[in-house]
Amino acid sequence: MTREGLRIDVVGLTKMFGAFKAVDDLSFSVQPGVVTGFLGPNGAGKTTTLRCLLGLLAPTAGSATIGGHRYRDLPDPIGTVGAALEASSFHPGRTARAHLEVMALGAGIDPRRAGEMLAQVGLTEVADKRVGGYSLGMRQRLGLAAALLGDPPVLILDEPANGLDPAGIAWLREFLRALAREGRTVLISSHVLSEVQRTVDEVVVLARGRLVRQGRLADLDSGPRDVLVRTPEPAKLRDALAAASLTVTEDGSGRLRVGGGTTERVGHAAYVAGVELHELVAEASHLERTFLELTEGDRTP
Amino acid sequence: MSTTSAAPLVRAEFKKISSTRLWWGLLVGAVVFSMIQAAVNAAFAGMDPGAGQPATPGLDTPEAIRSVYAMSMFSGTYIFALILGITGMTGEYRYQTITSTFLVSPRRSRVVVAKMLAHLVMGAFFGVVALAGTVLAGAVVIGVRGADLGFGAERLWPTMGLAVLAVAIWTLVGIGIGTLIRNQIVAILLAVFVTFLIEPILTFALAAIDLDWLVKWLPTNASSALMAPGNTLLDYLDWWVGGLVLLGYGLLLAGLGIALSVRRDVS
Repeated sequence: MTREGLRIDVVGLTKMFGAFKAVDDLSFSVQPGVVTGFLGPNGAGKTTTLRCLLGLLAPTAGSATIGGHRYRDLPDPIGTVGAALEASSFHPGRTARAHLEVMALGAGIDPRRAGEMLAQVGLTEVADKRVGGYSLGMRQRLGLAAALLGDPPVLILDEPANGLDPAGIAWLREFLRALAREGRTVLISSHVLSEVQRTVDEVVVLARGRLVRQGRLADLDSGPRDVLVRTPEPAKLRDALAAASLTVTEDGSGRLRVGGGTTERVGHAAYVAGVELHELVAEASHLERTFLELTEGDRTP
Repeated sequence: MSTTSAAPLVRAEFKKISSTRLWWGLLVGAVVFSMIQAAVNAAFAGMDPGAGQPATPGLDTPEAIRSVYAMSMFSGTYIFALILGITGMTGEYRYQTITSTFLVSPRRSRVVVAKMLAHLVMGAFFGVVALAGTVLAGAVVIGVRGADLGFGAERLWPTMGLAVLAVAIWTLVGIGIGTLIRNQIVAILLAVFVTFLIEPILTFALAAIDLDWLVKWLPTNASSALMAPGNTLLDYLDWWVGGLVLLGYGLLLAGLGIALSVRRDVS
């Protein structure tokens, strides 16, 4: 089955709360067919941006559109965009099934679809229990069921992994990737990169209301990596590497950290100098560190 | 599709009401209060209250019968109907379900209209059920006193119908209040405060400064007028004018609410 997604376009979006600028001249776009991560630390303006996109907040300036339309102008809102915002917006005295039936009735969707959606997210057994007794993970699943109710080509989920256990996160990952494979537009926010690292293809990184970076997740990790090398003759190796115009620092664990080169260059320099090596590796990915560096500063793209 | 008709949103509102337990509690309260009111009215009709006050009309008068069966229902029920209406709107903000409501229907004024229609029907339902209670309780007490049950009393049935209508419109007034004031506790307290304290004081004060003509336009007096066509003792509006005035209060509050409150950011 395919479900042709729609582009999300945020253009020059600014949202002020009194004198506080929650979102500051933000522009990015989200493509169909991939999972896009909307990343940034808490308070970066992610939820505010999503609420502007969904017509719940009025932007101070700029626009946020789905397939070129403002949310309020969509002829079939929840059949076009499925959204799950914070997991607390359920009446505690209402059952999960009734919550979905209320939405279905209002949108002219067959209320029997409520049961199907609850089965899809694994809530069938508690479908007729009051939401007040649900765990955070169960509420997240109910929010997802509500988002899927209208079989929408666009999904917008705010911190969907929050409160899920590792098994739940793995389940969510497969679920969202399958939806994207069908051609849908999937946008998920998170303040924890590791939660969504294996789920998202594209990233939009936000800090203090401003865009820090947009691109493929792989490109976030494309910076030069240091090479770590262990040898019984560190002084000799240092000289050899310096001669090859590579920078060398002490790693602290008995290894040398070599900057500006690859494992091939380091290995070659050692071979030429006749230095014995016991270990030679490229430093492991430090995506999370890159993410923190990106979001700590107040940089512009 | 939902784009042209209000019916899907009204159905959703009925489901919202029926899927939580609050309406039950309010209905029980309304029936109990109405029955007590009817029993008391029936028990004391025609008795001399003492202290030089004139006696109330006896059970052989249509006034007394109408009071027992119809007015008792209204005075026992309307405050519960008002609260049903207020919570119908403010509950959405209290539990943040307003988010999914506005996601389903981003045109917010339609939500308010759907709520008004659904709650108008619920209010009428409250009125009919409570009326069954007052008829039962009133008939038992009248029977015990050995008087005629009076179901053929002049204008009894139209008055009952108007009392149901009045209760229904008070529910709609509740939606209006809730639309204007999002905070549930503040909205309920303010409504009860105005109805039970400010209005009586205002009635008294206006009369004292010779502004009696204003008194009959106050909401509670307007609804009394609606139920008491041809009442010559008090200077009420015509019954239909009273009904329209009450409806006007509800629509005015809801209109203000749509203009001032509903369009505001939801976060």
